[in-house]
Amino acid sequence: MAAASVYSSPGFDFSNQIRNNFLAGKGLPLPKATSTGTTIVGCIFEDGVILGADTRATEGPIVADKNCEKIHYLTESIRCCGAGTAADTEFVTNLISSNMEMHALTHGRKPRVVTAMTMLKQYLFQHQGQVGAALVLGGVDATGPNLFTIAPHGSTDKLPYVTMGSGSLAAMAVFESTWQPNMSRADALQLVKDAISAGIFNDLGSGSNVDACIITATHTEMLRNVEMPNERVQKERTYVFPKGTTAWKKEDIKKLVLTEEITPLAVEAMDTT
Amino acid sequence: MPDMVTLSRSSAPGQPQQRQFNPYTENGGTILAISGADFSVVAGDTRQSEGYSIQTRYAPKVFRLTDKAVLAVNGFAADGNMFVKQVRQRLEWYRHAHAKDMPLRAIARLIQTMLYARRFFPYYVYNILGGIEEDGSGAVYSFDPVGSYERESCRAAGAAQSLVQPFLDNQIYFKNQVPQPGRPHPKHLPLTTVIQLVIDSFTSATERHIEVGDGLEMYIVLAKGSPLHGLESIDGVQEMTATNEGERIFIIRRNLKRD
Amino acid sequence: MFLTRSEYDRGVNTFSPEGRLFQVEYAIEAIKLGSTTVGVRTDEGVILGVEKRTQSPLLESSSIEKIMEIDTHLGCAMSGLTADARTMIDHARVTAQNHSFTYDEKIKVESVTQAVCDLALRFGESVHDEEAMMSRPFGVALLIAGIDELGPQLYHTDPSGTFVRYQAKAIGSGSEAAQAELQDKWHSKMTLKEAQILCLRILKQVMEEKLDRHNVQIAQVTTDKGFEILDETRLTGIIEEM
Repeated sequence: MAAASVYSSPGFDFSNQIRNNFLAGKGLPLPKATSTGTTIVGCIFEDGVILGADTRATEGPIVADKNCEKIHYLTESIRCCGAGTAADTEFVTNLISSNMEMHALTHGRKPRVVTAMTMLKQYLFQHQGQVGAALVLGGVDATGPNLFTIAPHGSTDKLPYVTMGSGSLAAMAVFESTWQPNMSRADALQLVKDAISAGIFNDLGSGSNVDACIITATHTEMLRNVEMPNERVQKERTYVFPKGTTAWKKEDIKKLVLTEEITPLAVEAMDTT
Repeated sequence: MPDMVTLSRSSAPGQPQQRQFNPYTENGGTILAISGADFSVVAGDTRQSEGYSIQTRYAPKVFRLTDKAVLAVNGFAADGNMFVKQVRQRLEWYRHAHAKDMPLRAIARLIQTMLYARRFFPYYVYNILGGIEEDGSGAVYSFDPVGSYERESCRAAGAAQSLVQPFLDNQIYFKNQVPQPGRPHPKHLPLTTVIQLVIDSFTSATERHIEVGDGLEMYIVLAKGSPLHGLESIDGVQEMTATNEGERIFIIRRNLKRD
Repeated sequence: MFLTRSEYDRGVNTFSPEGRLFQVEYAIEAIKLGSTTVGVRTDEGVILGVEKRTQSPLLESSSIEKIMEIDTHLGCAMSGLTADARTMIDHARVTAQNHSFTYDEKIKVESVTQAVCDLALRFGESVHDEEAMMSRPFGVALLIAGIDELGPQLYHTDPSGTFVRYQAKAIGSGSEAAQAELQDKWHSKMTLKEAQILCLRILKQVMEEKLDRHNVQIAQVTTDKGFEILDETRLTGIIEEM
């Protein structure tokens, strides 16, 4: 193998950062990535794990999507809630989902939650926080129920109940006041709904509906829009424009039906030789 | 929240240090006013927020000044509240000095001089003044933070201005709508239509803007001798008139989504 | 120490034991030395008329200014120490301009009169050892004429800072006779024309010199044209009609 013509030191290469700082100093900052305010939670109960999320996606102060899905599929029994830069959470969960499937095929057994967690944190750490994904990872595997949070820089926490996103404080307040070990499925689901609702109503970055996902050893139940406390109200008026309301500058009528005149020539006898 | 920022990175002794004080915040919300032939409607939502937090779900942004003038204030809430307080003080001084209520156009000019007096340390607020002129016509005046003002027949300001104003331009001024032959656009809309448009403006802004919601307060000012224009049949309308001058003020409150 | 009357005479800050401010009273006396000035209010407008006393045949009577404009809808005639009136009218003009700047409307006649009287009362005002801004009361009385949303109005102000609204008022040396005549001749249905003639007739009665277009001046405030001093042609016209 030919030796590199220019020496490059091992480890990280910060040359672009120096360039970017220089450009920022000249008044050319990096384009701002879209960051979404969110409330996502996870909670362990007697039979497994419940994940929860709101459904609002924002671009600054504007609501971009009133009913988006923030609980992403990793494997049948491992799911992951995403907060932060929308593109990053979608891409990174998708990528890890593929890799988890590959892992399962290679090893011939169901992959574990820690595996997904390790793959995610390594990917995020490699990108030094530039991939802006804040995740709540939960699932049930051979070791039992597992629940993690993964911060954008790659650090992880393993806890019985977790929250993330701009509504994390509102949601955590609910968990801290009423969470108990070994809760029943119904109680745990109600707690998750309450935690997400706290985010929806008290955090401007979160809103609309509650999604939940109950994962047990035998079954995963995705509860899409399990609560809908913010249905759109009826408008006072109907906004139908009368015919002819739109102004037009020129009229050009094209004939779309083609007519073709066919003149039959003298009929030749079929060659039957 | 007002904050202090140290800009220089070096803390070497004897080296100059630059500090910056930012006394302003943006507290969200939206206000809106529409005038008709002999009435004026001024409305605002009641949410007050900072960043992603709701400070209160009920902080009025619309204020009755006199029986013929209503002022809506949006932007930095502390400045807004203080500004309304000072306008009210000036109105009282005027009443004592000149033995009459200040006319609407005089209030408009007063607000300009008060805002421009703070040209280099402005009140961080957008004002919309609505009410009845001396000639009995409905009027809306809108202001920028340093006092540029204009009389118009409809205006939205605040967080959802960019969502609401185009809707109003289309529905009030009939922008981008060609009249049907023999049916020209009306110059003034009836009061009930205007109230419906205001409610729809706010429910729609609540749907798509995170800083708008919780509650809606709508003030309706009617000119001297004006009929109720169907106001009596609107749910929850409440009269706020204080004097017997002839103009009448009403308020309508509505709930908005709280998410 | 016993104070004689002459000692109460001096200070503008000191009441006499009988409750009088002599300097103010003397100032009011000073007006009675001034030339006669009359004002008449009608439903069509207000008329102001003054006598211009010319002590010398060499004096240019056109340089005597006894009627002045305060704002487009406000005029003022004076009697007494006319130099003092300059300060007061300056103040009235600034007040009127400030009002229209701040409120985008014309100031009321009463408000501008009040402002002038507030100034008239500022004699003897001083803080601690500082020099007072005004050393004595103004020695002038004003007739302020104007039109606002309450219609045509005529106000009289004196050095004590008191102001009163009149239908017709005379001030100055011939004021007693003139006021008696006004009381006799003024009526509520009076036209502007009648008021102009009444003004001139009264001035003629009380003037020592023979009245002509040089030694009198007439001004009026009307709804249509606001304040205007009548030019020589119009003045001559009225004199001839008289």
